[in-house]
Amino acid sequence: MKHAKMQLSTETMNVGFVRKVEALSGSSVRRCFQCGKCSAGCPMRSFMEHPPNRIVRLLQLGQYERVLAGRSIWYCASCETCSTRCPNKVDLAAIMDALRKCSWDAQGPSKESLVQLANRLFIDNIKTYGRQYEMRLAAVFNVKSGQFLKDLMLGPKLITKGKLKMFHSKNKNVGEVERIFARIEEMRKKGEAE
Amino acid sequence: MSRIGVFVCHCGENISRTVDVEKVAAAAARLSGVAYATDYKYMCSDPGQGLLKKAVAEHRLDGIVVAACSPRMHEKTFRNAAKSAGLNPFLCEMANIREHCSWVHEDREEATEKAISIVTMLVERVKKNRKLVPITVPITKRSLVIGGGIAGIQAALDIADAGHEVVLVEREPSIGGHMAQLSETFPTLDCSQCIMTPKMVDVANHPNIRLYTYSEIENVEGYIGNFQVTVRKKARSVDMDKCTGCGVCTAKCPQKKIPNSFDRDLGMRPAIYVPFPQAVPNTPVIDRANCTYFKTGKCGVCQKVCGPGAVDYEQQDELVVEPVGAIVVATGFELYDIGPKPAGSPYEGYGEFGYGTIPDVIDGLTFERLASASGPTGGKIVRPSDGKEPKQVVFIQCVGSRAREKGISYCSKICCMYTAKHTMLYHHKVHDGQAYVFFMDARTPGKNYDEFWRRSIEEEEAVYIRGMVSRLYQKGDKVVVMGSDVLVGVQVEIEADLVVLATAVQARTGADSLAQKLGISYDKYNFYSEAHAKLKPVECATAGIYLAGACQGPKDIPDTVSQASAAAAKVMTLFAKAELEREPIVAKVNERNCVACFYCKKVCPYGAVEEKEIRDRNGNLIRVVAYVNPGVCGGCGTCQATCPSKSVELDGYTDEQVIAMIDAL
Repeated sequence: MKHAKMQLSTETMNVGFVRKVEALSGSSVRRCFQCGKCSAGCPMRSFMEHPPNRIVRLLQLGQYERVLAGRSIWYCASCETCSTRCPNKVDLAAIMDALRKCSWDAQGPSKESLVQLANRLFIDNIKTYGRQYEMRLAAVFNVKSGQFLKDLMLGPKLITKGKLKMFHSKNKNVGEVERIFARIEEMRKKGEAE
Repeated sequence: MSRIGVFVCHCGENISRTVDVEKVAAAAARLSGVAYATDYKYMCSDPGQGLLKKAVAEHRLDGIVVAACSPRMHEKTFRNAAKSAGLNPFLCEMANIREHCSWVHEDREEATEKAISIVTMLVERVKKNRKLVPITVPITKRSLVIGGGIAGIQAALDIADAGHEVVLVEREPSIGGHMAQLSETFPTLDCSQCIMTPKMVDVANHPNIRLYTYSEIENVEGYIGNFQVTVRKKARSVDMDKCTGCGVCTAKCPQKKIPNSFDRDLGMRPAIYVPFPQAVPNTPVIDRANCTYFKTGKCGVCQKVCGPGAVDYEQQDELVVEPVGAIVVATGFELYDIGPKPAGSPYEGYGEFGYGTIPDVIDGLTFERLASASGPTGGKIVRPSDGKEPKQVVFIQCVGSRAREKGISYCSKICCMYTAKHTMLYHHKVHDGQAYVFFMDARTPGKNYDEFWRRSIEEEEAVYIRGMVSRLYQKGDKVVVMGSDVLVGVQVEIEADLVVLATAVQARTGADSLAQKLGISYDKYNFYSEAHAKLKPVECATAGIYLAGACQGPKDIPDTVSQASAAAAKVMTLFAKAELEREPIVAKVNERNCVACFYCKKVCPYGAVEEKEIRDRNGNLIRVVAYVNPGVCGGCGTCQATCPSKSVELDGYTDEQVIAMIDAL
């Protein structure tokens, strides 16, 4: 996919997708003139198969499958260095957010990615406890991803430093958190939120 | 006994760092004939020049040697100082101890010794210097403008408005040039015809402009202020005085299937034609190569229908001699042809683009005609093969340009901008169409240029793809474009309906032969050379000849118009003087010694040597000798070196002076 020949025509360039990303992120995609400053400063660049500037370039050509197929958008740490330094006011961090959302909604190829799994468990925890319960997050993530021993040796260190609690402590107002989630769900149904 | 003053300059530290300037001044003071010698930190500064002037008066100096930089730098400065001190300026000479000594040597002792030798030579030389008087040459205050495109039109109008007569010569039947062919112009998208045609009419109506269309330069003789130009008025076969421009002949001509080169062969024209409706002058011309009457002797319809009887099949080429004082060359450009080239051409064609055999692959100028409201399609964009509206158009930049292997290494400068314009024009006319541009760099230096280019992408939705096209081929009724996007790093393939090539701007065919007639220099691409890339951008090295527009190198309309006005200003500067003053460094013939072998005439690069007849008082020819026209002589000294009888000498560089310098060593 990464190296496959690109057939360009009005059919193969998904302009609708680009418009959607632009609407979600509130940032123009066409403004980018490919200076590469975003990729130059990106701390996660070395983990990405498509550097940030190429993500925008693929968007300009309407190549949404290529964008969503890769893991680059999930490696983005949302540090916003790209958006801060862009000479053309392209808000790349917002575009990355929008792309992640599109990928999630589209049940796209990256749906199965571990990053998505982590995100889902993160949200589930918040729903249940009203706050994060790291021990459970790590344990369930390792089980679901099939990497049972992953980062196991970090556990004791984190526990001794008080960064990881053995038992959860519930948020006093879990009811409020539940209401927040309920409202978002309601807004989604009405189409007020995406 | 001479009384020479020697002034040694430190040039800040430029000279004094390596040369012991005080020692040089002391050594100079001991030379015979030197009345005064000194050194100073900056001789060229105001106090330095004051020092020189004061010394001339105090020591009654009759010659000056300034030991400083190159004469190219400050000879004029010090000669003017000498002049204001009451000395003939040509008695002042420069001893170059900077470029020729301090800058190129490290050993202080040896450099000082060399500086003393240089000064000694110049002192001996100045002893033999003669007082020279600047030469004055009369100026014919008329000018010739070659080429009737926007450059020539602008230059002609400016000079004519200043009150001087202008002879404007255009090769084609109408003035207007390439600009008349354009649809809209960047970066403001105003219609080319709308801003161009009023200027064309102004040229036709201007009382100071004599317009020769369908004419070419046959021969140029003379020199600055005094050129004799022979213009060949090609036979138009229509009497321009009688013709009213009614257009009946063009309408009735039975031969109507001749490709119109003004429309890039997209439309047809008759054998008697005006190239385009707004042509100036609006007088038809018969294309004799394609006219039935000239081919077979039968037909003659145009002559029969012409009311005023203007059609004249017997008309012959006419030669007119025009005396002018200055020449503006504005012959423009032509476009690179991707087709196979005949043997000997430096330009390779594009085999990978089918050598121009794919009908829906056109060049930028052809696209201009398609987009032009006055073009063969009335401004409707259709493709040449089947007349359908193209929905996918691919533009390719740098075709020919920046491609050393194809014969051209330079950037054609205008293509980035006109391609951006083309994508806009296309988007305005075909709303559901998509334009793609393959480019290597977008070069948009100009006022509002980059904004214009960005607009084509951000608002007019052109897809720019950074990368070049490897190959074009026909597949069904599509042209397949095989390119790459180097930013993504993948190959790109587009099935296009129409492909537009931004082909390179190159010099006119025959630009070199015109340059040889004019005696001006040109580069390896046949673009005319300016005298100095930065400081004399509109002057030729040949005095009295100026450049305007794309004949000097690729140029867009704003730059062309600026340069044309600059060339006009240079002509006006020349004409502002009553007479032309020239440096008197010219060759003189000793008529008593001259044996009339005329070797000098053969070698003179300026054509300054003439044959002069010496007659007695009754008018009988005594003998013939060589004569150097001081107005033409460039002062190179070639004649002096060639003369077997030693009877020609260059003033300021006589044998006597040069031998004295050598003897001083």
